[in-house]
Amino acid sequence: MLQFEIKKVFTKFKNKMALLFLLVTLIAVSMLTINRVEYIDENGGRSVGISAARSLRAEKNKWAGYLTKNALQQAAEEHAAIVNSEGALSNDTREQDLAYSRQQGISTIVEIINSAFSEWRDYNYYAIDGISIEDASNIYERRVSNLKKWLDSGEETFSKAQKDFLISQYESLKTPFYYEYTDGWSALLQNISTFILILALFIGFFVSGIFSDEFQLRADSIFFSSRLGRNRAILSKMGAGFSIVTAFYAVFILLHTAIVLLVLGADGANCPIQLDLWRSVYNITFFQAYLLIITGGYVGTLFAAILSMLVSAATRSTATATIVPFIILCAFPFLSRILTLPQICAFFPDQLLEIYISVKEFNLVQFGGKVMNVVTVITPAYLAACLLLLPVLYRIFKKAEVK
Amino acid sequence: MKLELENLTKKFGNFTAVDHVKITMTNGVYGLLGVNGAGKTTLMRMLCTLLKPTGGTIVCDGKNIFEMDGEYRRLLGYLPQEFGFYPEFTVRDYLFYVASLKGICPAIAKKRVRELIAKVGLSNAANKKMKKLSGGMKRRAGIAQAMLNNPKILILDEPTAGLDPNERIRFRNLISELSEERLVLLSTHIVSDIEYIANEIWLMKGGRLLRTGTADEIINSMPEKVWQCFVEKNMVSDFMRKYKISNMKSEPNGVELRIISNEKPLAQAQSVKASLEDVFLYYFEEKAGDENAAV
Ligand SMILES: Nc1ncnc2c1ncn2[C@@H]1O[C@H](COP(=O)(O)OP(=O)(O)OP(=O)(O)O)[C@@H](O)[C@H]1O
Ligand SMILES: [Mg+2]
Repeated sequence: MLQFEIKKVFTKFKNKMALLFLLVTLIAVSMLTINRVEYIDENGGRSVGISAARSLRAEKNKWAGYLTKNALQQAAEEHAAIVNSEGALSNDTREQDLAYSRQQGISTIVEIINSAFSEWRDYNYYAIDGISIEDASNIYERRVSNLKKWLDSGEETFSKAQKDFLISQYESLKTPFYYEYTDGWSALLQNISTFILILALFIGFFVSGIFSDEFQLRADSIFFSSRLGRNRAILSKMGAGFSIVTAFYAVFILLHTAIVLLVLGADGANCPIQLDLWRSVYNITFFQAYLLIITGGYVGTLFAAILSMLVSAATRSTATATIVPFIILCAFPFLSRILTLPQICAFFPDQLLEIYISVKEFNLVQFGGKVMNVVTVITPAYLAACLLLLPVLYRIFKKAEVK
Repeated sequence: MKLELENLTKKFGNFTAVDHVKITMTNGVYGLLGVNGAGKTTLMRMLCTLLKPTGGTIVCDGKNIFEMDGEYRRLLGYLPQEFGFYPEFTVRDYLFYVASLKGICPAIAKKRVRELIAKVGLSNAANKKMKKLSGGMKRRAGIAQAMLNNPKILILDEPTAGLDPNERIRFRNLISELSEERLVLLSTHIVSDIEYIANEIWLMKGGRLLRTGTADEIINSMPEKVWQCFVEKNMVSDFMRKYKISNMKSEPNGVELRIISNEKPLAQAQSVKASLEDVFLYYFEEKAGDENAAV
């Protein structure tokens, strides 16, 4: 029964076309992601693609290792040497570019030093130039003290418990950081939300007809008058929806990840996410951040798909059901922009597809005295919502009359 | 197998589509005869658990069919009046799918599908997509799906509608072949369809059963007589105003009328034996309809 339900979905012309579009989108988004990693060669030429990623990786991995005080000072010295080199000081922009191309191997280290010595809200590109080599080795202490200073400044509205939570998270982050080339993961994580959103919309489109098509094709009389039409056959429809969501999500996320990382390289999976997101309160690695993002994305996709199926069963209209994922995943972010109620908007389902942003920002929730990251709350909450919606969906279809 | 309908009623808002129907069925073929909107489809949908009655009960061998749920539907085969298919499925896929909906295990389904495809004459079209079938072929596929579970109760809603005369006769024979050892209820508004195959005929009008019985019983139930006479063309409209006309045949020098009336409409009119068509007309038409006059 299940295989026929799935067959019904993918013999539909519209869905075949959608599948084609999805494949094109996969290629396009993967290409865009890959093109984010640039390399400047010794002639000053910019390039992207496999060989560019290889070269950049080689440059960066010369500095691979723990960013101890010693390593940080060396990087700061190297930076100073480049900045003060003949090329960098010359008036010829080509010469300048060439000089700075030598900085590619330490660019990430320079960025975190800059972050540590910038004002809380503004990133200062030249912060590193205003400090001594010894200062450069104090970034880990600066990270914590900057936070405390900001929390004491009164510019923000966190409760005492939230402040304590932030400080304890900052203090418990393991240092020194391990450093290596992370640009593959970095590009992947920055762009994957867009791909997950597109994927969720397509998947919603695929499943939107599973229930309503029975009515629209006028196949309902035979369906509901059959022995299993009001019990097992409904479960098999739900199973088809779940299988399509899960299989498509898994396969396409895997393909996207594989394409991007095969081209850009998968090093740096175990580096702390703070190399990229200096202020993050999540003490996790790039790979853990990836898992968090794709898990949230999966729950968001599942939630949108189940709601779509629910509307499909209730309204008996495939067109209406198709709109549901758009409303949930596209209209809500729009709503949250006009509502400016961060406390509520943080719980909108679109947040499940924006976990990268949550990892980057301080999105906290507090229950009584307990403070948690939003992600650790909304992902299980929406998973529970999915489970609660299933019996509703089942009952709606079981009670359907054919008029 | 025994189905008892007790005061079965279905209302849509204020409108009563089926009105206190009370009847019992056992094995055999029941022909449900009624004009458009009589409530045939509504009655059948309740029998197929597709609609919940507003009042009354349907009891199968002592148990309420809505409580029996799947257990009742296991006994049921249904060919709806209007229905759709999954356009991209082949006939074979479609039948396998319905077999799985009916909970038939794959090994048995395989055998049944093969047998039924042959029986309904779709062997050459088994791998054709449903959207490519003609109307007659779709009905054959429809009857095949109804028969998949070898149903004890077979409900056919206007199975011959829209078929050409040849196809209709073949289909009628097929139904009569399939109806052995079962309870079959078939609806139509075409008298000849059931005259030959139904053991019992029900006349339905305005949601109620007007008359039930064998063809002869129904014919004899008509209190008026049937007359045949020959009149001039210009007199036809006169007769139509006065009598129920069950048939009219134009000839070069006049019109042959079949009139339903208690008294003799014309001196030279001859009394003839009533047919089921006459009875149908008698019960369902207030007076000879205007649409017939155009013939
Ligand atoms: N879902 C519904 N909502 C409102 N009225 C309905 C509904 N279904 C049927 N009816 C009305 O109930 C009456 C009986 O309809 P039904 O389809 O049972 O007639 P029928 O005897 O099958 O007619 P036909 O020969 O045209 O198929 C009609 O007047 C119809 O308009
Ligand atoms: Mg009907």
